[in-house]
Amino acid sequence: MALRWLSRLMDKATLSDRRYSFLFEPGPPDETVSIDCETTGLDPRRDEIISVAAIKIRGDRILASETFQSVVRPRVAIAAEAIKIHGLREVDVASARPIKEILPDLLHFIGGRPLVGYYIDFDIAMLNNHVSEMLGIQLPNPRIEVSSIYYERKYSDAPPGTQINLTFANILRDLKLPLFNQHDAFSDALMTAMIYVNLKDYVARDIRIPRPRIKPAQDYHGM
Amino acid sequence: MSVILDTATAPFDRLTPDEAEMLRGAMDVAYFRPNETIIAEGGAPEGLYVIIKGAVEEREQGDLVGLLGPKDFFDSRALVQGAGVSGFVAREETLCALAPRAEVLRLINSNPRFGAFFYTDISRKLEELAQKDESSQIESMMRARVRDLYLMPAAIIDSVQPIVSAGRIMRDIDCNALLVRDGDRTGVVTGMNLAKAMVLKGMTIDEPVGNIAQYELVTIEPDEFVSQALLLMTKYNKRRLVVKEGDNFVGILEDINLLSFFAGNSQLVVGRIDRAATIAELGAAAKQIAEQVRPLRRQGVKFEVVAEIISDLNRRLFAKLFDLLCPDKLHDKCCLIVMGSEGRGEQTIRTDQDNGLILGEGVDPAVLDRFRNEFSGALAEFGFPPCPGQVMVNNPLWSRTIGEYIADFSVWTATADDQSAMNVAIFYDAEAVAGDASLLARAKKDLVEKVANERVFLGRFAKSIEAFEPPIGLFNTLKTSEGEGDALDLKKGGIFPIVHGVRSLAIEQGLEETNTFKRLAKLAELGLLKEDFARDLARALDYLMTIRLDAQINAAKSASLLKPATLTSMDRELLRDSFQVVKQLRELVRRRFNLNMF
Repeated sequence: MALRWLSRLMDKATLSDRRYSFLFEPGPPDETVSIDCETTGLDPRRDEIISVAAIKIRGDRILASETFQSVVRPRVAIAAEAIKIHGLREVDVASARPIKEILPDLLHFIGGRPLVGYYIDFDIAMLNNHVSEMLGIQLPNPRIEVSSIYYERKYSDAPPGTQINLTFANILRDLKLPLFNQHDAFSDALMTAMIYVNLKDYVARDIRIPRPRIKPAQDYHGM
Repeated sequence: MSVILDTATAPFDRLTPDEAEMLRGAMDVAYFRPNETIIAEGGAPEGLYVIIKGAVEEREQGDLVGLLGPKDFFDSRALVQGAGVSGFVAREETLCALAPRAEVLRLINSNPRFGAFFYTDISRKLEELAQKDESSQIESMMRARVRDLYLMPAAIIDSVQPIVSAGRIMRDIDCNALLVRDGDRTGVVTGMNLAKAMVLKGMTIDEPVGNIAQYELVTIEPDEFVSQALLLMTKYNKRRLVVKEGDNFVGILEDINLLSFFAGNSQLVVGRIDRAATIAELGAAAKQIAEQVRPLRRQGVKFEVVAEIISDLNRRLFAKLFDLLCPDKLHDKCCLIVMGSEGRGEQTIRTDQDNGLILGEGVDPAVLDRFRNEFSGALAEFGFPPCPGQVMVNNPLWSRTIGEYIADFSVWTATADDQSAMNVAIFYDAEAVAGDASLLARAKKDLVEKVANERVFLGRFAKSIEAFEPPIGLFNTLKTSEGEGDALDLKKGGIFPIVHGVRSLAIEQGLEETNTFKRLAKLAELGLLKEDFARDLARALDYLMTIRLDAQINAAKSASLLKPATLTSMDRELLRDSFQVVKQLRELVRRRFNLNMF
């Protein structure tokens, strides 16, 4: 954390394009942005973004009507395994714009708001590849990891040896949220936002998520 | 399917893809804590809320009037009118998708089908549902496969065989068409072909059948849709198709098989009842009556019509059984009556037999005794369960002389107990089925006159409408979206109050009608009920009876108990509307008969 704070200071000082200094200003109070990327594969050093969706959250309201959604044309081939996950093929992204044309709009959309996600570090690492190329910095936005809040609400007082399940489907099931169209960036960002507003309320009212004594027989949706 | 908006459910299924996309793009998602107010009573709603997770209570002046779960939406009335009667409060953590009011109003104006949903009153809404139901059911039947139909066997005869052999095979396999093999080609010959060949062309029975076969076969594969079969029959003007899978002949599809698949065959049953000469033959027909219900419903026929057809068949059956069993000495000296739901013509699935006899003077007790035991026994064998309250011909209480009945009426109308009120209700619904119908007419006239003069009795009679708590409160037990163990009693909560409320008003007016729908029409004609209200009541009753019937067909354990969680949100909305109408009727009956006095 300290390291990130330091590099944030450095970045702010070295930001090459001053037009993007708003990234370092705090966003409107009580606002966050839920974000999700689909990629050509799982290696942030090599793979690239092929679709991105971001949804603003204001207080208890998910502003699904104010979203940023875009398909991106990557410079590398999409791995067959990845196509199986998100269903985006080469032909689907061929007519899309490259990330460098999309990124400015995305950055203006998110501003300085904290970014909410499920394994958010991966999404931000993917974005940072391009942000650093364009602006010479890393995204300075605070990060909110829903699986961490979930872990804290459910497992922080668990005895050693407890089976821990942080899968997306498991979180949705615990919160009785519907699972739709997973691995579509918009749906994933929306479901993540729902998880977030729900967990945020649990934290505020100090409600814990019960742990079943018996290990659940099986997930209702394979990850 | 989108997280925010399920466009497969009404009324959103009426949006074009573009409209749905536009609406979806305008929707936000709101989170509510337990006990948080979503719309205050009388407040202006921000838009239309569609529940994604959780449970929402609908409250009127603090009273719980409904409980909504995932996929339910609210509040359509408030949305249109700008402010609603009910308030909405989250019962547990709840997420709702929110369609902005301006956007929904725009769609209401631009898409009449979508708009209709928000403006129509309950009966129109129900009618639309019924139509949709009907078309979707016919549609699903059209998508049935040829192999699902009853097919005639594909029996093959060689073309050199004589006509007489063809005739014999047809008789033996009870089929009116044979396939004729003539070398490489195959044709078909029908009974009609055989007859014409001999009568019109003067052929002999020894002539080879190959000479009269038709070799232009119209064939269909067993996997083809039923609609395709219908199309082929119409196109080639054929009454039968040959069903062929590859090179194999599977069977012959006749137009009658196709028709009976769609229509059931109630007309055939009528003939069978009329022709029955023995109890056993009549029993076979009785079994067929019970089999009519399912195809009729599958066709999407409304309850009111199903009940009319079934009641008509049952009454023919009773009358025929009466003719078969009743000794001549008794025949003109008594009247066979059906009572209760059977009398009102509202029984579809057999729940019990409510029947009795009104006797004239001078009946031989021994003859009578034998007859009524045989009669009740035969009905039980036909599959009519004995009446739990023993309202049956073989119960001496329900087979008495007209004089005894009339004496009973005086006791019933003067006694302050539930049994008396129930006896009056049962008898007031009676219809004559066989024998001397004037006996019933005389008895009823007397009953109505006695009742009309007894305001106290009328009040006590109507009071039963309050026997059961309003059903809306029963939603209380619907705890979560999973809906565990919660059930709603349609009969006590909706059907009985309508039937009995209407019966109370009818008996006060001395109406002769027994059917609740007909009573409602008459009460509206007399100006006792507003026409709109009578229509709403009729539709609500038809709707409640229909869902109960469907549950009975699906062999639910207790078909009167319904789990709201198993219904679609459209059904739940209609159910709530129906119970609202029931509530209004209870109020009306309560005021009219001063029930506060009792």
